[in-house]
Amino acid sequence: MTDKMDTTTRLERLRERYMNGDLDRRGFLGLIGAAGLAYGVQTPFARHALAANVSQVRFDGWGGVVSEAFRKYAFDPYTKQTGIEVVDGTFGGGDEYLSRVKASPTGEYNIAHLSGVFDYARYHNLGLSSELNEANIPNLKYVIPKLVDVFRAVTDGKLSCVPYDYGTTGIAYNRKHVSDDEMKEKGAKILIDERLKDKISGWGDWRTRIWFGALQTDQDPNNATDMDAVWDAIRQHRDLSLKYWGSGAELMSLLAEEEIYVTEGWSGRIYALQEQGHDIGYMDPPNGYGWQECLFVIKGSPMEPCEELLNFMLAPETSIAVAEGQNYPPALDPQKVDLGKKIPTLPAFDPTGKLAGLTFADPGYWNGHEAEWSKTFGRVQKGY
Amino acid sequence: MRSTSGLGWHLIRGWALLVYVFMFLPVAVVVLLSFNDSQFGSFPMTGLSFRWFVELWENEAILRAFETSIVLCLLTSIISTTLGVLASLALVRYRVPGANAISTLLIAPILVPEVVLAVALLLFLNFLGIHKSFALLLFGHVIFTLPFVILVVQARLVSIRREIEEAAMSLGANPVQTFFQITLPLMLPAVLAGALFAFTISFDDITGTLFWKPGGVETIPTQIFAMLRNSISPEINALGTVMIVMTVGLPLLGVAVARRLAQRSGG
Amino acid sequence: MSVEAREARQPWILLSPALTAVGLLLFVPLIFIVVYSFWLRTASGADQVGFFLDNWQEALTDRFYRDILISTLRIAAITTLVCALMGYPAAYFIARSRGNKAILLLMLMLPFWISYIIRTMSWINILGVSGALNTFLMWTGLVSEPIQMLYNEPTVILGLVHFLLPFMILNVYVSLDGIDMTLEEAATSLGANRWEAFLQVTLPLSLPGLAAGGLLCFVLGAGTYITPLVLGGPSDAMFANLVFEAIITQLNWPLGSALSLMLLAVLGLLVAIYNRYLGMAQLMKGLG
Repeated sequence: MTDKMDTTTRLERLRERYMNGDLDRRGFLGLIGAAGLAYGVQTPFARHALAANVSQVRFDGWGGVVSEAFRKYAFDPYTKQTGIEVVDGTFGGGDEYLSRVKASPTGEYNIAHLSGVFDYARYHNLGLSSELNEANIPNLKYVIPKLVDVFRAVTDGKLSCVPYDYGTTGIAYNRKHVSDDEMKEKGAKILIDERLKDKISGWGDWRTRIWFGALQTDQDPNNATDMDAVWDAIRQHRDLSLKYWGSGAELMSLLAEEEIYVTEGWSGRIYALQEQGHDIGYMDPPNGYGWQECLFVIKGSPMEPCEELLNFMLAPETSIAVAEGQNYPPALDPQKVDLGKKIPTLPAFDPTGKLAGLTFADPGYWNGHEAEWSKTFGRVQKGY
Repeated sequence: MRSTSGLGWHLIRGWALLVYVFMFLPVAVVVLLSFNDSQFGSFPMTGLSFRWFVELWENEAILRAFETSIVLCLLTSIISTTLGVLASLALVRYRVPGANAISTLLIAPILVPEVVLAVALLLFLNFLGIHKSFALLLFGHVIFTLPFVILVVQARLVSIRREIEEAAMSLGANPVQTFFQITLPLMLPAVLAGALFAFTISFDDITGTLFWKPGGVETIPTQIFAMLRNSISPEINALGTVMIVMTVGLPLLGVAVARRLAQRSGG
Repeated sequence: MSVEAREARQPWILLSPALTAVGLLLFVPLIFIVVYSFWLRTASGADQVGFFLDNWQEALTDRFYRDILISTLRIAAITTLVCALMGYPAAYFIARSRGNKAILLLMLMLPFWISYIIRTMSWINILGVSGALNTFLMWTGLVSEPIQMLYNEPTVILGLVHFLLPFMILNVYVSLDGIDMTLEEAATSLGANRWEAFLQVTLPLSLPGLAAGGLLCFVLGAGTYITPLVLGGPSDAMFANLVFEAIITQLNWPLGSALSLMLLAVLGLLVAIYNRYLGMAQLMKGLG
């Protein structure tokens, strides 16, 4: 702030001299330009200098209801207590955010709301993981152990994140056109059913497509042996599909406008549609796709302030507010914390806190094939 | 006025009307949905309501983003138009060796996919050890709005006859006077069009902004992008409606008032 | 200093701010992209520094990239043509109308206040199976079943036209507005009918604007990636989607760099041809 004051006062003085006629116009404009330039160049360094004595922590996540809930229940109380400001940013997707982190100096980004295990392993492989001191995050004890263990397995028993919420990618169907019985019978294969040609959609994400390709060919999604069959199923789905969707907003409008009758869908989004009175069914097929999201601390961040902020964000009231906003259950164990009325009604919610019914992706298996599969899918998706 | 009558003119007017209808279709959807009662915008509307306008008014994040967007676009459009007009003058009014090549170079920012430009600029900053700042975001926007200004201003400048400027000079005006009194007024429509381009392109930009924005800086498009995963809040529709009412309503009102006053004083 | 030397220096003074900005913020950063295009992405995700031609070999020889590049250019060309056909008469109308031109032009830019994504997504409310057009057609009894109109190449072009049309119209308008209307009237008084007068006087004089608008539409159309994602079917992808996927989804910056340089080269070539044959220098000769 001091820099800004200096520049402003300097400009003010300049203007006075100009008004008094001490400076000719060209000189005045030139000096203003120089001052502006100095300010523009100075600001980034000033910001950097501030970061050194930790007056702020940077958080990046989803916008809208999610960031509003974080601001109200976690960031503001945190700032009040510690004096450290939370600068929050948003992203449109995890991949885009990772590209930004990769192209920026260490320390620029601190905490991010990432899609669980895949990204966790990816960040770790790129050398972007940090090591949390769990003693500084007492609220971690409320978190469902199964969710934590997955992360520990990736980073040798340590943690670089805390789990935050979970959900499933199941199959959403329009009850007017697809009956519950038919869904029970066909499961994931409904997505490659000729009868529904051009009324089918799916997420244009390679992992989801391969996961469902494995289900459609009766294979273990975490260890498919016949990849050719999986790719064939993906091609079959592509040919029957009207389009791929790319965001929750798009998924919801395709279903609500009856452009499509079946698709995979994110549990929370389908719940939001049902809440609005749309007659959309949701089913997690056997070996359905479970996922979790986490709050990841990136290497080079001020660890203690970040840990403290994570603790604020994990606090039940924050977790519940975020969960009710985005319709995904929080990572908190319902056996240990009272989660209120709405959360137990959310899809994928498990009152036992064991999450035995959900199959999560095996990060080693998926990230091991990432380079090859994401590229192949890029081609298959476009008709090759 | 012979050219504004006859069958041909009616056809042209009808055609133009259709073009406007086409341009307004999505706008109409958004405006209608901003009055929709339910949260997930879709037709048929569940009821008429002003709640999204009220919530917009109370939503600090969106209002702050709107403010940032407006400041960013205004600065972008001023800087970009200035640079563009100067460059166009040089290219059209002087014999510059390699003018074609320079022209191509200056249009290059829209030839590179924006995501590449975004990453490349970040890599460069990283290399220099400079952190992100609002200034960088602004310069990024200037770079990719510059070609729009240059293209439209050049096209206009070519059609302004050199003789008019020469006549002014021969009457004793110096080049600067000539520019401000003759050339600038003649090319004003293009300058305004260029500024309008720069403003709207900058207002609508997502990819570059996502990559270049410093912490705590959000524009309307980045706010929308971050809402895509869950659902875009109807407050965004309300904001669009407010902006449209402001940009069309106020000038129209101004014109109407002026006409009324003129009539009264004339009658 | 001699007058000639000053005369020769002036354009460079005028050009220097724009050239400095583009040089420093576009061309210097592009060097990184050129360097990156010779690196290699390893299976673990890290980039291997070195001098490899693999990315270039893949980008240049693989039919996949060539096919999509060609279809991208085709879509951009169709979009440009449609924009010109739709936009020229509209621009002519604005330029010759007696109404408030500023408001007519401003109205054209209104859709830009609605963010691009929302605008593009809202076509589902207009052309979707339960959208306005289908509802209307069913109400009139013209069709009994809603027609599936969205998510194919024509709708991608429709989305692009909607995005690019204002650029075409504004460019043509700016050109038309500079033309002295009495010229056309003089031609008609000399015995030409109005259509001939338009073809021989107005159209040639407005070519700079049409060319500039066309170039903008083509280049922006060829570089788009969100429209095909939102309005296209599964196989409607354009070249910028490939670049986006390589860089963002696959985090394969080396390949993405090679691909984007390829697109830059193709579009740059087209712009160079435009500047050579249709560009300002050429047009000036025609007008002079």
